[in-house]
Amino acid sequence: MGSMSISSRSPDGIPRTGSPRLLILTPDFPPAPGGIQIVAQRLASGIAGFETEVVAPDGPGAESFDAASGVRVRRVRGGGRLRGGRNALLNAAALGYALRFRPDVVLSTHIVASPAARLIGRRLGARTAQYFHAEEIGAKPKLAAFAARHADLSIAVSRYTAGLVAATGATPARLCVIANGTDMPEEWSPEPLERPTVLTVARIEERYKGHDVMVRAMALVLRSVPQAQWIVIGDGSLRPGLEELARSYGIERSVRFLGAISDEQRNSWLRRAQLLAMPSRLPAGGFAGEGFGIVYLEAGAYGKPVVAGNVGGALDAVLDGETGLLVDPTDTLAVAGAIARLLLDPALTARLGAGGHEWARAHAWPVVVKRVEEQLLELVSPEQVGAPPERSVDVPR
Amino acid sequence: MCGIAGSTQDPEGRTVRSMCETLRHRGPDDEGVHTDVAAAVSIGARRLAIMDLPGGHQPLSNEDGTVWVAFNGEIYNHRRLREDLLARGHRFSTDGDTEVLVHLYEEYGEAMVHPLEGMFTFAIWDARARRMLLARDRFGEKPLFLHEHDGELQFASELTALLKVKPHLRELDPHALDAFFVFAYVPGPGSVVRRVRQLPPGDLLTWKRDGGGCSQRSWWAPPERAVRRRESLQSVVAEAKLQFEEAVRTRMIADVPVGVFLSGGVDSTVVAATAAKVTTQPLQTFTVGYDTGAVSETERARAVAERLGSDHHEVTLTQSDVAERAPAMLAGLDQPLADQATLPLHVLSHFARPRVTVALGGEGADELFGGYPRYRYLEAARRIHAALPGFAVRPLSRALRQAGHLSATARASARLAPTPMLERNLDWVTSGRRHRREGLYGPRLAALDGRRVLADLGATAGAQNGGAAARWLMHLDQVHYLPDDVLVKTDRASMLASLELRTVFLHSGLAELAGSVDTSMHLAGAGKAIVHGLLPPGLLSPGRGGGYRKKAFRVPAAEWLRGPLAAVLERQLARGVIFEEGYFQRGVARTLVSEHAAGTHDHSDVLWPLLSLGVWADRFHGLDVD
Repeated sequence: MGSMSISSRSPDGIPRTGSPRLLILTPDFPPAPGGIQIVAQRLASGIAGFETEVVAPDGPGAESFDAASGVRVRRVRGGGRLRGGRNALLNAAALGYALRFRPDVVLSTHIVASPAARLIGRRLGARTAQYFHAEEIGAKPKLAAFAARHADLSIAVSRYTAGLVAATGATPARLCVIANGTDMPEEWSPEPLERPTVLTVARIEERYKGHDVMVRAMALVLRSVPQAQWIVIGDGSLRPGLEELARSYGIERSVRFLGAISDEQRNSWLRRAQLLAMPSRLPAGGFAGEGFGIVYLEAGAYGKPVVAGNVGGALDAVLDGETGLLVDPTDTLAVAGAIARLLLDPALTARLGAGGHEWARAHAWPVVVKRVEEQLLELVSPEQVGAPPERSVDVPR
Repeated sequence: MCGIAGSTQDPEGRTVRSMCETLRHRGPDDEGVHTDVAAAVSIGARRLAIMDLPGGHQPLSNEDGTVWVAFNGEIYNHRRLREDLLARGHRFSTDGDTEVLVHLYEEYGEAMVHPLEGMFTFAIWDARARRMLLARDRFGEKPLFLHEHDGELQFASELTALLKVKPHLRELDPHALDAFFVFAYVPGPGSVVRRVRQLPPGDLLTWKRDGGGCSQRSWWAPPERAVRRRESLQSVVAEAKLQFEEAVRTRMIADVPVGVFLSGGVDSTVVAATAAKVTTQPLQTFTVGYDTGAVSETERARAVAERLGSDHHEVTLTQSDVAERAPAMLAGLDQPLADQATLPLHVLSHFARPRVTVALGGEGADELFGGYPRYRYLEAARRIHAALPGFAVRPLSRALRQAGHLSATARASARLAPTPMLERNLDWVTSGRRHRREGLYGPRLAALDGRRVLADLGATAGAQNGGAAARWLMHLDQVHYLPDDVLVKTDRASMLASLELRTVFLHSGLAELAGSVDTSMHLAGAGKAIVHGLLPPGLLSPGRGGGYRKKAFRVPAAEWLRGPLAAVLERQLARGVIFEEGYFQRGVARTLVSEHAAGTHDHSDVLWPLLSLGVWADRFHGLDVD
């Protein structure tokens, strides 16, 4: 957790420090669950060099969450049940808050907040930064192009995502790849279950996550490792169909669908499982799929190797042969083979698990937040202020 | 396309060799039998060479001769499976798909069926475990008939082969004949004879020499649960496209020329367009048309072929062809089948055979992707019923029925009639044939409990579980009409011409995807929305109103029954076995025939099944007195 020094209060009740001011606009923020929520929250609480304020939609439990979080969050109420309405309100409200807060930098965590970021940039002279994940680029390519064109800094969570941004046709002023991060457990003590356990952690909402391939693969894995069990964490509308698929492949006794469970329970499974498998594939037809796959790092944080697809964001999240095994995610045999290999080879599992742990440490949120912060600070460094934006693409690794 | 047979009471292989001889037309190129003398077990195969032409002799075994396989069908992903097995240390001595089964069995045991993509039945004899494994593909594309007695087992790809070596089993099952008349096909898992059954689609059967006999289980079934889910059609089409291209690509792999059967409808057009995209060879397409009636689709097919730039071939099924070929073909079918499209499909296969050995077809799309308008109408009927007060339904339905013979009012009436959904659907697809049994059935069928057909159908359909009626009916079609009519027609009509017809839409990933989307998506627009989404723009000319109107694959059966087949009908009435043996009554049948011949009525819905069964039964009876 980052700290925030509050030295004074301005007349409108906003504390002022000598630091530059950062306004984070996000349609997703905890306590609502999800990957973008985590990114937004870790940045908001971790960035120390800015005085930070967040504009996010209201939701159940938000008030108590914010009170305990130490992050200043402006919650936007209303907008109805439709996402479009909520996003419109978020953009409008962001403008209002910005007028009072006078940010030096606006960071939009999702392209749906880019119109407000752009307007704040133009009206108040703030520099703007835009996060890109993946799926949203496929879903709203025009908005993604708009966001990339107008942001002073574009941050892609993987090289794959950077490619998606480039494919929108927009030329970003500056595009950098900063991989997503993970929380590291304070104490790391693996407690593997006696029963060989394969874990999948994902909402069962998107077909590209490869739950269907996992069902087919587990039917084969069970032949070589009859005691194996597959623990499916996450919920979603595809779950009933998936449960039926598991029955139709005759593996229902070796599968447990746990639904959406708490982070503590999930971490407990990460500690106890042998490996995590999530063979995300690339959807066709311009749909983007997995931008990174934070869950691969989370498994690594608990010393667990992963089986992932050799496409998309997983190429940055997983090092093949070092932190896990990358396979053709549409190939049942390849997925089954990789899972069985790990279950049957404890030495390999241990080596990749250790590699995964190191890799996760290199992606601990404080490290990632620091990278983002450096980029944001560059936007407001004296030589940058007022200077025309430099057109460059900066792709580390 | 091959045939297999086996017996657990055959220490010399004579029985199996005899069955294989009967299967010769399924596999003219080669025959082989393997016998385990000590276990008294023999398995055999007849083969039509499609892949690995010189090295595909069957049965074949693993390295040490302990696992043997006899296989009928195609494994489309056999190259990928081979790669995996090679990496696991298996050694191969042939290049074909059959040997993959042996090693897959060694590696995965019964779970070997799961990664198989294809159409198949196979028998694996594990000499060490003294165990036989029989398996049938997911939708039942390939047939397998079984007879069990006293813990012993005989099986063959065709009923006829089994009956040749077990002549005492040649006893028709009156219930099966009743079901045949109602459905126009023989529903599984039974057969037209009493003591022979079929291995159901997606089932595995294990037989052990040392006690235990047979045990059977399902290894795959089409997903049937109604999924309530909002997702965009585009994203599902994108996913379907991945699977579909894979399905076409893997089905185009063969050591012989491959073509496409193109009717000009949406399904075969999507197949042809994708095939043209994935192949580097010039694509050959084939269409059948007629010289009578107004139902020829040849022009639509020609237009599609022109746009695709395919090498297109048309054959016309003339009335004289019908007279010449229909009786022999219908009689030659293993079990009776009254699907009117069997003959044109056979003629098309025969026509295409000199140019291609394998053809791709669009079968299964209607059942999996909601292509029948009936799904939408019956779903609407369910909603109307739920909305109307009970007392209003019956009089309204009656009033509509009396309003005349217009099909629209008749349909509206049927929609409102307070008939259970299952019966309503049945009467829709069979033109209410079950109500015409009275008077037509002779003493041997009239004595039966007519409710059994409906009870059996209900058992197959299972409970509706409160989901959409359409989903329930789609699932019923996938496990009843598809395996027992559509795929029997596909297999037999093509096989009789020694051509292999490969169905693209039955690819397992595609089928599982179809089963996992919301029913309303299938039925959106004119139905089959996902298949329409796969269609490249501009390939099919939209009908009036901008949609591609569903054109049922109609055959000029009514005209044929008045013309080229009228004499056959007369012969049936004069001395057909089904009348002679007291299954059907001549009197009513004669009236139907003359009304139909006079053109005052169209009785083809009844006459075609009678004709099909009649000529088949005459042949069957002939076998009986051999």
